[in-house]
Formats: sequence, structure tokens, C-alpha cells
Amino acid sequence: MSPATASGSPYRLLGGRIPYVEGPLKVTGRAEYTDDIHRSGTLVGRVLRSPWAHARIRSIDTTEARSLPGVAAVLTGEAYPTPFGVLPITHDETMLAVGKVRYIGDMIAAVAAVDEPTAERALAMIRIDVEPLPEFSDPRTGLTRVPEPIHERGLLGSNIQKQVLQHFGDVDAAFARAGATVRVRGQFAGVTHAFTEPLVTIAEATPDGRLTVWSATQVPHYLHRTLHEVLGIPMHRIRVIKPEVGGGFGGKSDPLPHELACAALSLATGRPVKMLFDREEVFYTNHGRHPTQNDVRIAAEADGTLLAYDIDTIIEGGAWSSFGTVTTYYNGVLAMGPYRVPNFRYRGRRVYTNKPPSGAMRAHGGTNIRYAVEVGLDELAEQLSIDPFDLRERNALPPHSTTVNQFRITSTSFRACLRAVRERSGWASKFRRLPYGRGIGLGCGFYISGSNSPIHFTPKMPQCTVHLKADMDGGIAVHCMQADIGQGSNTLMAAIVAEVLGVDLERVHVQRVDSDVSPIDLGSYSSRVTFMMGNAARRAAEGMRRQLVEAAAALLGYPAEQLEVVHERIQVRHRPEVGVDFMGALNRAMEAGGALQSSGAYSSPPMGGTFKGARAGTAPAYSFAAYVAEVDVDPETGVYRPTHVWAAFDCGRPLNRLAVEGQIEGSIHMGLGQLMGESMEYRGSRLMNPSLLDYKIPMPGQMPEIEVLLVGEDDPEGPFGAKEAGEGPLVAILPAVANALYDAVGVRCHAVPITPDRLLKGIDVRRSAGRPWKGE
Amino acid sequence: MHLDAFELHRPESLAETVSLARTWAGQADYLAGGTDLLPNYKMHLNLKPHLIALDRVPELGGLSLDRFGATATLGALERFPGLASAYPGVADAVAEVATPLVRATATVGGNLLVETRCFFFNQSHFWRQSLGYCLKADGDRCHVVPQKERCYATFSGDLAPALMVLDAEVEIAGPSGVRRIPLSDLYDRDGDGIRRLAWAPGELLVAVHLPPTARQYRASYLKLRIRPSFDFPELGVAVAARIDGDRWDDLRLAVGGLESYPRRFDELTAPLAGERWSEERLRQLATAVSAAVRPVRNTSLAPDYRKRMAGVYVRRAIDRMRRRVD
Amino acid sequence: MSSRTIPVRFWLNGLPVERAVPPERILLDLIRDEIRLTGTKRGCDLGTCGCCTVLLDGVPVLSCLTLALRADGKSVTTIEGIGEPGRLHPVQSAFVECGATQCGFCTPGFVLTAVALLREHPHPDRETIVRAISGNLCRCTGYTKIVQAIERAAEAAP
Repeated sequence: MSPATASGSPYRLLGGRIPYVEGPLKVTGRAEYTDDIHRSGTLVGRVLRSPWAHARIRSIDTTEARSLPGVAAVLTGEAYPTPFGVLPITHDETMLAVGKVRYIGDMIAAVAAVDEPTAERALAMIRIDVEPLPEFSDPRTGLTRVPEPIHERGLLGSNIQKQVLQHFGDVDAAFARAGATVRVRGQFAGVTHAFTEPLVTIAEATPDGRLTVWSATQVPHYLHRTLHEVLGIPMHRIRVIKPEVGGGFGGKSDPLPHELACAALSLATGRPVKMLFDREEVFYTNHGRHPTQNDVRIAAEADGTLLAYDIDTIIEGGAWSSFGTVTTYYNGVLAMGPYRVPNFRYRGRRVYTNKPPSGAMRAHGGTNIRYAVEVGLDELAEQLSIDPFDLRERNALPPHSTTVNQFRITSTSFRACLRAVRERSGWASKFRRLPYGRGIGLGCGFYISGSNSPIHFTPKMPQCTVHLKADMDGGIAVHCMQADIGQGSNTLMAAIVAEVLGVDLERVHVQRVDSDVSPIDLGSYSSRVTFMMGNAARRAAEGMRRQLVEAAAALLGYPAEQLEVVHERIQVRHRPEVGVDFMGALNRAMEAGGALQSSGAYSSPPMGGTFKGARAGTAPAYSFAAYVAEVDVDPETGVYRPTHVWAAFDCGRPLNRLAVEGQIEGSIHMGLGQLMGESMEYRGSRLMNPSLLDYKIPMPGQMPEIEVLLVGEDDPEGPFGAKEAGEGPLVAILPAVANALYDAVGVRCHAVPITPDRLLKGIDVRRSAGRPWKGE
Repeated sequence: MHLDAFELHRPESLAETVSLARTWAGQADYLAGGTDLLPNYKMHLNLKPHLIALDRVPELGGLSLDRFGATATLGALERFPGLASAYPGVADAVAEVATPLVRATATVGGNLLVETRCFFFNQSHFWRQSLGYCLKADGDRCHVVPQKERCYATFSGDLAPALMVLDAEVEIAGPSGVRRIPLSDLYDRDGDGIRRLAWAPGELLVAVHLPPTARQYRASYLKLRIRPSFDFPELGVAVAARIDGDRWDDLRLAVGGLESYPRRFDELTAPLAGERWSEERLRQLATAVSAAVRPVRNTSLAPDYRKRMAGVYVRRAIDRMRRRVD
Repeated sequence: MSSRTIPVRFWLNGLPVERAVPPERILLDLIRDEIRLTGTKRGCDLGTCGCCTVLLDGVPVLSCLTLALRADGKSVTTIEGIGEPGRLHPVQSAFVECGATQCGFCTPGFVLTAVALLREHPHPDRETIVRAISGNLCRCTGYTKIVQAIERAAEAAP
């Protein structure tokens, strides 16, 4: 183990194992999720979905549905034509279909009724006349001008939503002089978040002219803005509350049409309305990882020094833009670490299809390209007879460097990650030395620690603000719109405040996200919360500490600079027996003006180049990972199981080891799901498996033994040296296992998921070509 | 999701059950554990206006090594003392059904009579409506093998193959009294995914009977699926044999999860009687089973893979059974 | 409607409940929507996630696939019935200490499954634990800390 993992923390709480502050509520069933909230007189909201993949709406007749007793409102799209979308530049969604439906499951109408059966009867009474249109289920058919594009805004009459063209250096020249080249043509099925808590929203319009919305969201602020934009109500009359959220992983990060429809139903009826989706509807809402085809060529010198990447990628967007413009960039630019690559060319195209929308999912935009690159590097190492570790060591980006596309790399402990897993996994005695059917593989990772490019905001506005209040009860209330969706951000925020103030964690009370009182944070996406909220919380707490220290200075008769904050006490540094406890200092401080308040904010510094798209992928810091996986393959069936994973991760200083381990273990599980069998299975435009039975999330018996190695050093700008640990941990596991499969049976799999039948086909091909592997 | 209203009948004797079943023939389903029926009802699959609950019918319960009552739960069977040594193949199979939570209420009868499954059938009303329904529910064509005559839904129970190879019999009650037939004959080999049981309207399953000889057989069951729990079989292979030195003695083999009914392969195993074990004969048998089965593209794994795995699993199931002897 | 209802009496977390329910009433709906004990979660409604697990006479079952009338004469334990006022059950404490909760939505189901497991097998090996929880789905933790928590709770047991 490197010294960093063994060394003790200089902090009282941070760096330890801090149980989640809401844990006792969750283990007793007392944590309150949106569906647990009961508002008196609540109506049931349901939506009518399109059974057509692509059709023009000629007319909708809701007369009969409206007259059904028990039905309070029936809404259709024409009354809410304002387009919206999570990115301000691609507003192409409407609350309910206007003019066209674009996928099976698209929302056409919304009903509020006294109960579910009545609402469903009403939906069945809505008459729709449509003109079916040609449907696009394969993105490749939408790359050129088509007679009926899915959206009018497609590039030159095609279904291309976004095209990115970038070229740095001279890629063709690099390939011309390369000592070795490899090519990976990756194919990736779409996967979805499949959080356990279904999508659910409650809206309540009240006679005071206000609208309150409770929703299972990970971006309360974007929901707040979108409600304002689509419903035409000033933001200050809308109140958004985020109760406990049962997982998000990116799937609750777009403002979603049902959240708007639920609010519109409440405004139309004057009563609270609850809209709870069943599991099939959650699958249709999707916004999961894009189905992807990438073509990645890598050039290197004969000694393994990387020369160039040449990447051409098509990602399938489904019906809406969502985060897709960002995804299109990410699928290229996130290839730019953790190695130095002097020449880089990328063409990325995101294409609309008549399927549920793709969007942001954990390790957004970084997963599939990382797979292709890391599998490619494994092939390159073999071609050059270089150990995969040596190849990566040779090319690792050093600390405080700049990539060819002008990413600013500050801290990186990538080399330490490599060293840690190389040693702990016993690599030297296993690689290519395990018997046929057993294998070991290396995969590495790189991810943004918070997007530098905030959505909706000018760069001058903070990306996060935290407010503190301390009063006579000795408790400290923390307000911030950062969204804890299970990752432990409330715990971290409380621990940072307690650390700075020197108080017990139990004094710190994180308040529920409520737009009336929570200062804005942009939400849980782009792995930004630890870095941005952490810095804001630290600054807020430091502001309060100054007030307390000044009060103590007045009380003790020593200058403030001679005082130190220790556990629950402020004392004179050279005379520790002279001091005042926390309550004493607080009471004194409040004499001046009552309860103490303090505010802290974070804005990321200016960075990135000036070319088109230069900000995509810029971040105030990056995480790094090196994973080794060991697998057992049954060569007769193609069934395989990862048995061990050594996961070295650089998140800077881990502030809560319990939570960081949890993120890494959970990421490995989710990544293994995508690798081993999860797939949004389509026939034509039809989703075949919209259920938790047929969408194959791995079960405990499929999980490997995991050893987590945290080897980061302090990041210069991260809070207490920390960087992200929520998304980066996912990307390395897929190529690590794929490369281990190669080591086991000599089969390269460029198509994901690697199902047993696919692996078996590869084994067949190898055998029929007369190429035995490892003494097979 | 809610259930539509139905009329519930709760008979307290077998006679009363049979009488209710006759009265409501064609309009009623039996309700035991509910883990198969209720999800299907929530998805509006072939709803009936009447449900006949079997939980108060004493004749259907009970569990012993000779007789599994139809309403005995899989959880109780799994934990039943001596099951694994008496019928190791049955123990293999029951432990692999769905999940422990399902097995807590799912029943022996329910697993034997489990509704056939298909990607185009086990979907919500909305999903099926958007495709124009299918032969098995509300529609008139099959989307797996496009035609209008035959349903290709797959039999997905685990217990049936494991019990069939032990020559288990089922006790069936109906308007014309109680009868016993081999379990294999319960499944209609001339039927399809819809007409899949060879019994008369109004009949019901009372119990499974294990013949005294069943305990003389060594056995095993192997199941193919993507995840080690939750998933229905993509293939299930059961074998049983009496071991006489190194000779094939009365080998039986049954396969589920591939076609509309669980299928015993006596025509392939009978010629092996009295022969010596050999890798060669084993391979031939495996190849013959693999060639005989006809899976279709209506589950998670590709049909050609399931067909190929049928051969592999036959060999492995026999290996596992033999190892149990040694 | 009232003529269709069936009287049901059962013990819910030790307290008697008397209701008249239509036969199609699902136990999960009765507990969550009528009695408003919301610790029992609705994750899929089809028996494919385990979030709605309750103990029926001590046995973990899927309340989303259980008719309410099945509870008649029985004892139903929901997550609210685990632990004492001011004192968590050892399984609950272990889940907190080990960080076995993340989003927490599957947690009540896992806790109930684990409580029942440890009553039947006070000192289960890892394989027994993995089998016992194989009907409860977790999307956050990779199960690692859940298994650890159950092991820790078992160690704490006499």
C-alpha cells in the first residue's frame, strides 16, 4: 500500500469512516421519499402514452374522458407549447406531445382523477387520430437528409442532432510514422439507471398563488427553472422540495415532462396531484446511456509512446436532445486522459431515433469511449510485447500538465494507482500465466470532477452556495440545494461544517432541499458535488468560525490570531487551559445581532481553450483510476464471472472512506451490469424488456471480491484536497474485465454487453482458426 | 398498479372446489401462491372474473417425501428434511426457482402449472396494445413465428423436468372424480403455448406423488439463466438414473425452458439401457438432444445458444448425477 | 362495493388491525396507502425487486404480490416493527455502521430479510447470506456493504 493510504488523517472527522447521517432514518423506514408524502385531497395523475413510434397527430378528442365522473382535468399538449430541455441550446421537448409523437411511450395527454382506475378509464376514452410516419430505429438511417426527420432542427434535414468535429495536431502524419496501430470498433447497447425508487412527483397549487412541487429529482434547480419557463409562473412563486431520493445515477437529472404535467394538473384542478410511475413508465422515460458505435484508431511509436487517437463515434439519442450535445463532446474529449496523446481527431454524431430518449448516466459520456481506448491499449501492448502496466506508465499524464485539447490537469496520482494494483493483484505472477479459462486484466479511468461549464448560469455566478445558521440551541442548520440521492453528500456537508467549527457532528443539521430557503446549487450531476459544495461549505463554515473566534477573543482577552479551534472549544494556542467552549463563544457572538449566519460559495476558475466546444470536458480537477480484474471463464458455455477486483482510485483525499468505498463498490456493480448483461433490448423501435425481471441488474452472487485502494494525494483546489468519487469509479471496470477475458481465453470482445453466447462465438472463431490460447 | 375487481371464492374442501370450478368453468382461475397469477393480472393478461382461492382446501396441502400437496410452498419443500438425499434433482430445482421471497409463497402446483412465457406476452396491456396483441392474449397472431395458428410461449417451470424423470404422478380432481396420471402426461405434447395441459375444464391439481422407486434414482437438475436468482430458466435439464456399476440403467432425461412443454426424451435414452457408460455415448446423447429441441427467439438468450447449451447441460447434468453416486 | 368486502383481522407490528377489504386489495396498498405505514416501499409492484418485503408470521414475503386477506389471522411485521423505541435492532445498527444504506429505498426490504435470516441462522456463512438476499435488488451498493453488515450483525448476536 502506498504511504497515502496508510497515513492518518490530520483532520478530526474528515478522512475517517463517517456513517451516513440519515442512516438511522433509512434503516427504520422513517426517511421520507416523495411517494411517502400524503397531502390531503390528492388526486391521482396518469399519462396517456403513444403506442406509435413516429406519427403526426391529426386530432385528439378528450370530450368523453372529461365527462367521466371522477375526472378533474384532462390536459393535452397544444395548451403547453413552450419547448424545454435541460440544455438551454437544445429545447426540443414539450410537456405533452405537440403535433407529433416520437417514440412508443411518448406522453400525449395527462389526466387527474379521484383514483387510479378512474384515471385509467379516462385515458382509455381519449380518441386520437394520427398519420403514421416512417420510423427510425437505426441511427445510421438518419445520417443524411430524410423525408420526415424526427425533429425539424436536425442537421441539414437529417436526424443528426449534434455533430462535433475536432482536430488537434496532425493525426494523419502521426499514423504515417507510427510503429504500431490498433483499431477498436466498439458497439454498446443502451443501458438505463434503474434506480429502485420509481419516478414520482406531487404538485400542489395553493390559493395564495403559489405552486409547491415535491419530486424525486437530482437537480431541483433545473426543475424549478423549467417549471417557471413552461408554466409561465415567476420562480419566486414556485417552491421545489426534494425529499429523500431513491437513487438517480443521472436518470433524475433532466427536468422531466411528467413533473411539469403534474404541476399543470394541480394548477388546473386547484388540488394536490400525485403522479407515480410504474416501472415500465420509468423505462420509457429512460435518459440512460446512449447506444454507441465507436471506431477508435490508436497510433504509437514502437516503444509504446502514444502518438494519436482518431475517433469516429455515432451515439443514438432517441427522441429528445436531453444532455446529448454534452454527451457528443464527451464521447471524444474524455479519451484525453489519463495519457498524453499529442494528436487527436474526433468526429462525433448524435442521431435522433424513435426510441426513448438517451441522456446522462453515471460516468456520462466517458464509459464507452474509455472501454474502446483501454481495450485498444491492451491490444497495442500485446502487439508491441510491452506489459500493459508499462505501456500506461510510459504515457501517463504528469501532474500540472495540459492535454492537447487544453484540459488543465492539476493533481494526478495515476501512477500511484497503477503501482498499487500491480502489486496488490499479484500481476507479475498471473498475467498470461494463469491456466486457460482464467485471466487477469487491467483497465484505467479518468473522469471530470465537476463540469466547469455550468448549465443556465453565466460563469460569474457561483455554481454552489451554502448557508449556515447557528442559534441559541447550539445547533447549526445547513442550507444548500445540493441533492443527496444516496451518495452521502449530506453527510459530507455536515462533516465539513463540523470539522471547520470543531463541533460534534450531531450539532449539524442538514436541511431538506427547499427552494424557498436553500441557496442554489446546480444539482447532482457531472460528479461535481464533493468538489463544489465541499468548497462552498468549507467557506461558509470558515466564515462562521471567524465570528466565533472573534467572540472568543473578546471574551478571553487574547487576539484572535492567537486562538485555535479544537473539539467543541476555542482556546489560546500557547495557553490551552485558557479557552471557552463552543456554546460560550456562540452566545457571546450572538449578543451583537442574534443568530449567526454565514454564507460560502464556489465558482470554478477560468480554464479551457478558445476553440468551438473548448469548454466541454473542462473541470477544476480530474479523478484517475487503475483497476485489475480477475475472471473465471467456462470455455464450453461462455459463462464467466469476475472473481476479484483491485480498484485503485485517485479521488484526492478521501473525506469519507465509507462513502468513497460505497461509490466504488456500487460503480463496479453498475459497470459489471453493463458489461455482463444489462441492455435496453429493442426490436425495431420497440423496447422489449421494460421490467426489472428482463433488464438484468446483477445479483449478489455475481459480485467479485473487491479491494479498494485509495491512493490520491491532496488536490490543490479540492475541499481538503478531495476530488470526485461518484462516476469515475465506473469506467475502469468494463475494460478491466474485458481485458481479463482476453487473458483467459484469447477473445477480444468489442461488443458490449459481453453475453455468454457472444464470448462463446469468439472462442469458436479462435478454435476454428486453429489458434489455441495458453496451452488450451 | 392495481388489480381489477374479481369475485373471490374460498372453498374449504376439495368437493366444494370441484363444484365451484365446474360452475365457473372458463371464467375462473385458481389462486394459490399468486406469484405467477398476480403479476399477470396486474398486467391484464387474460383476466377472469372469478378466482378460486385454494388456501383453505386441506386436501391440497401437506408435504411428505411421497406426496407434495399442490399448495405446499416451494419454501417449505426446499426446507423439507431429507429432500436432498431422497430427490437431489428436485432439491436442485426448487432451490433455483425465482427468489427466496417468491418461494415463500409460490407453490408446487403453481410451479408445475406456471403460465408459459414469452417476450410478446409478459408485457403490460399498453405494450401489447401498441403491437396489436398476440395469439396468447387478446390477439390473433404470433409475433415470434409470424402466423396465426400456433403459440410459441415457453414452459418455464423448474420442478416439472426434475419430477418427470422420477416418474412422478399427479393427482387430478375434477367433475368426474379423482384420477392419477404420469406428470409427463399432464403436458399436452400436441398443444402449444396456449393449449398446454392435457386435462379437462374444471379439473385441478391435488398433489404430486413420488413412486417408491424414485428414491432409488440418483438425479440432478441444471438451469441456465443470466442471473443466479430471479430469472426463469432459459433451459433446464433434469436427469435421473439407477446406477449399476458402469452401466446405463434406466436413464431418464427431461428438458424445460425451451419449448411449450417440458419434454422427456425416452426415445433417446431407452436405447442406452444396459450399455456401458462412455464419453462417446454421452456425446451422442447430448448431440441428439441438442438437435431435437426447438427453442425460439422469445426469451433473453438467443435460441441457437440455448439449443447448443442443451447438449452441454445434458452432459453436465449426467456428470453431476454420477458424481453424486461416487 | 361494501358487499364485496371481506373482514380481515391481523397483527401489524404487534398491534391489532381490523379492516374490511375487497378481495383484490394488495397487502402493500393496504399498508402504504390506507394504513400509511410508508416504510414498506413500492419499487416495481411485480415481485421483481424486493423493496416491499414484509414478514408474514416471521417469513419474508413480497407484499406487492400478497392479497391483503392473506394476512387474516396472521402477524405482519414491517420495517416500522423492527427495533425498539430509541434502540435500533442489531441488523439496523450494523447497516448504519457499515454504510450499507445508500439511497435507502431497498433498505427496509434488506433489513427485514436479514432479520428473518438471522432468526433462522444466527451465524450464517457468506454463501447463506448471499442466497438469502438474492431476492432483494440494490442498485447503489454492489451488495458489498450489505453483506458485511449482515455478517457484523451476526457477530454481534450471542
